[in-house]
Amino acid sequence: MSPVVEIRGLEVSYTDARARRVVLRGLHLVVTQGEFLALVGPNGSGKTTLLRAIAGTLPLDGGRVALFGTELDRWSRVALARRVAVLPQSLALPDGFRVAEIVEMGRAPHATRWFGSSGEDATAVERALADADALDLAERQADELSGGERQRVLVAMALAQEPELLLLDEPTLHLDIAHQAALLATVARLRARRGLTVIAVLHDLNLVAAHAPRVAVLGSGRVVSDGRPASVLRPDLVREIFGVVVDEAHTADGRRFLVPHISAVERIEPSLHPHSINR
Amino acid sequence: MTHRLSVPIVLLLLLLAACAPSPSSSTAAPPSSQPSSVAAAFPLTLTDDVGREVTLEAEPQRIVSLAPSNTEIVCAIDACDRLVGVTDFDDYPADVVEVDKVVTMAQVDVEAVVATEPDLVLAAGNELTPTAVIEQLADLGVPVMVLYPQSLDDVSASIELVGMAVGRHGEAAALVGEMATRVGAVEEAVADLERPRTFYEVSVFEGTIYTAGERSFLASLIETAGGEPVTGDALSTSIELEELVAADPELILLGDATYDPTITPETVAQRQGWETMTAVDDGRVVVVSEDVVITRPGPRIVDGLEALARAIHPDAFAAAP
Amino acid sequence: MRAGVAPRPIVRGPALTRAALVLGGGGAMLFVALIAGIGLGSVAIAPDDVLRVLGHRLLGIGATAGVGDSIETIVLDLRLPRVLGAMLVGAGLACAGTVFQAVLRNPLADPYIIGTAAGASLGATIGIVLPLLLPGLAIGAGSAWLGLGIVQGLAFVGGVGAVLLVLTIARSGGRLPSVTLLLTGYAVSSLLAAGVALLMVASGRALAAIFSWLMGSLAAVGWVDLVIAAPVVFGVFFLLLARWRTLNLLLLGDGPAAHLGLDVGREKLGLTLLATLVTSAAVAISGTIGFVGLVVPHLVRLAVGPDHRLLLPASAVFGASLLVTADLGARLAGGIPVGVVTAFVGAPFFLWLLRRSRRVSESLS
Repeated sequence: MSPVVEIRGLEVSYTDARARRVVLRGLHLVVTQGEFLALVGPNGSGKTTLLRAIAGTLPLDGGRVALFGTELDRWSRVALARRVAVLPQSLALPDGFRVAEIVEMGRAPHATRWFGSSGEDATAVERALADADALDLAERQADELSGGERQRVLVAMALAQEPELLLLDEPTLHLDIAHQAALLATVARLRARRGLTVIAVLHDLNLVAAHAPRVAVLGSGRVVSDGRPASVLRPDLVREIFGVVVDEAHTADGRRFLVPHISAVERIEPSLHPHSINR
Repeated sequence: MTHRLSVPIVLLLLLLAACAPSPSSSTAAPPSSQPSSVAAAFPLTLTDDVGREVTLEAEPQRIVSLAPSNTEIVCAIDACDRLVGVTDFDDYPADVVEVDKVVTMAQVDVEAVVATEPDLVLAAGNELTPTAVIEQLADLGVPVMVLYPQSLDDVSASIELVGMAVGRHGEAAALVGEMATRVGAVEEAVADLERPRTFYEVSVFEGTIYTAGERSFLASLIETAGGEPVTGDALSTSIELEELVAADPELILLGDATYDPTITPETVAQRQGWETMTAVDDGRVVVVSEDVVITRPGPRIVDGLEALARAIHPDAFAAAP
Repeated sequence: MRAGVAPRPIVRGPALTRAALVLGGGGAMLFVALIAGIGLGSVAIAPDDVLRVLGHRLLGIGATAGVGDSIETIVLDLRLPRVLGAMLVGAGLACAGTVFQAVLRNPLADPYIIGTAAGASLGATIGIVLPLLLPGLAIGAGSAWLGLGIVQGLAFVGGVGAVLLVLTIARSGGRLPSVTLLLTGYAVSSLLAAGVALLMVASGRALAAIFSWLMGSLAAVGWVDLVIAAPVVFGVFFLLLARWRTLNLLLLGDGPAAHLGLDVGREKLGLTLLATLVTSAAVAISGTIGFVGLVVPHLVRLAVGPDHRLLLPASAVFGASLLVTADLGARLAGGIPVGVVTAFVGAPFFLWLLRRSRRVSESLS
């Protein structure tokens, strides 16, 4: 079976008023069905850009991206939206809608009826709410929700698309620790229940180390390390990529986490990263 | 007066109509080709002052006037009792204030016009009656004649035209003849007199000075009255203070003193920049109280001409009785 | 996690009863406004005379003996087209305002915001001033074409042309970012408005006509105007209603909408053009009447929510009612431009809206 995502030699750049900034250069990546891949890297390394390139909403300067065996430029937007869902970074929701109505918007790629929704749509929405643990929010007004509740609603909206590939853009950014844990538990549950393939951009290395079976580290516009967190997130690599000295520590049941050194004097220039980071 | 502030503004618009020249040819469209001494039989087709052909099935008995000058024309040829609609600015002759108002604050109430069931509407040219209103009335089948005189001759022609239209050609001819005599008398009296550079102040509003526009009716009146008019821009009728000072008028006529008692030769002399003008220096700043008839292109225009002549050449004319 | 189905289906679209109530109520209001607009005016006409004339001419029932010709003319040729024109313009502006508020995701958006008003004003001003400069175009000498005046024609062309200019400048790489569109619209509007001001200075006696057009008035609406404007308003309305889903999705933001399968750049372009068409048609027959396109969508949204399935038709109906009523008020107040009435009503509401949104945003921060 063809991989869900296959990327060869991807090149993406942004052009602003003054210059052309190459963000991704010669990037290779393969993701197979059912995987959970975490994408990490320093700020500006192109994680979100990569996600958008996979979602098909960015023009590519070079290379190939194939989803479900078909080249990206052969996909129509609607067909893509039926199989790929993106959870955005922003938690903003439009005023005045009920949660159920917001989640129903996720059915847009599948919409067959002109004016209303079909039974299929209704079922999908209910199932999505249930899977996202947001059934109790269905009748609430979207603008009255807290951050964590909005996150659940957005997850439900993504699930209403009935995707096979779920892309998460820094989903834990605005969440407290309890909600971060809940979200990752949800992701695990969804993978099991729906056979979803998940690619998530995450910034918390410890979260990644604890929950992600596979992690790809971005640096200098490409994937510099790819594999299990235990082998990828080693202190020496972290120091190289992120420019931070970390110590490894272990919990009682053997789980590993990284503790950064915070020093007023010591500053290390990362070797592979084009930008410097002050710590 | 309840509409104190609006009076100058609306009057300004009326005066702009009188003082600005028309972009169309300087000679008016000729009236009906029939000589005025012959009785005209209805139905009748006439050409109005802007070239529109108007057909009157029968002698009009219900006349609506959309401008004070038109009202005066109708009354001067003894058809006053046929007026069924006038404007709220109509004030002469005194009886017309009793007639129903169809124009309020320069807004034509088309519904009210239609309600009077007119068989002739006399509109004013130069957008004083908006083109849209004229077209709307014409579309409804109401005969509309536009009067747009831009010179003394034009006023006579307009009077004759209305005379033809309402079957009062005899009265019209007599009135026109009388006006011509009086105009002739003025022209003769000033023929050999020196022509002072004359500035007629229409209004000064927020620093902008309004006067007779180039080649305008008012300018021609001043010329006929024996003066050499200092004129402003043809379209906007305004003149820059610099230009006015450069033109250096020898005589200043305060037309706006008719409406504003605070405008006097003394206050004018105190205006900054005006003191260098010859007129101010020589004290030849004259209050004019007949601005209404000077700027209303109706039968009393000759009164206006005579008032101007008296102001410009006081020695040549005895004071008005 | 709670299993099971709630007694009321979770996915149900705008409540049928609510929709019926709102649209029915709106329709009733419109009907009353229509009757009042035809029955009342500066000339007092007995109600049964009005009904007799309408019944006779429109439905062929009854007779109009005893009702004067002038009354028939006033009711059928002056008031009826004017009131119908107010309906069309009110509905069109309200729809356009609704669409712009969604496309630009800006609650202060009105139908004129990206240049329509400025372009149409410039066109109309040229149309008013031109005949004064070129006598060949004066009344009676061919100033009307197919019954449409130059002013209406140039106003329509100006409105659409200005927006096309703005779209061309603001579009980059197939995308149409809302902020760029807004700012470009503002810049182009300012430029065109300066042109209008210049023409006003040089216009002399046409100034009153220009000013009256800018304030907006339904006084000169005739049957020809209606025949041409009605298909545009109805056509655009149904085309917009068909895109209700797109409009809802745009409220999520450009990114999420794209991820849900929308070609955001193309859809925004299409919606903008449709809204501009209907706005230009409205402005061509009535001048730039303000506040209707801004205020009605907000009021209606408060009552029926942001789902465009209901918001669009409700805005159209209430916009029509509002303008018919405002025009009646303008007529009874002595023939003042209807834009003055909508400004008097709309501006205080606008301020209230600002205060309300400020309080809401303050409470959130």
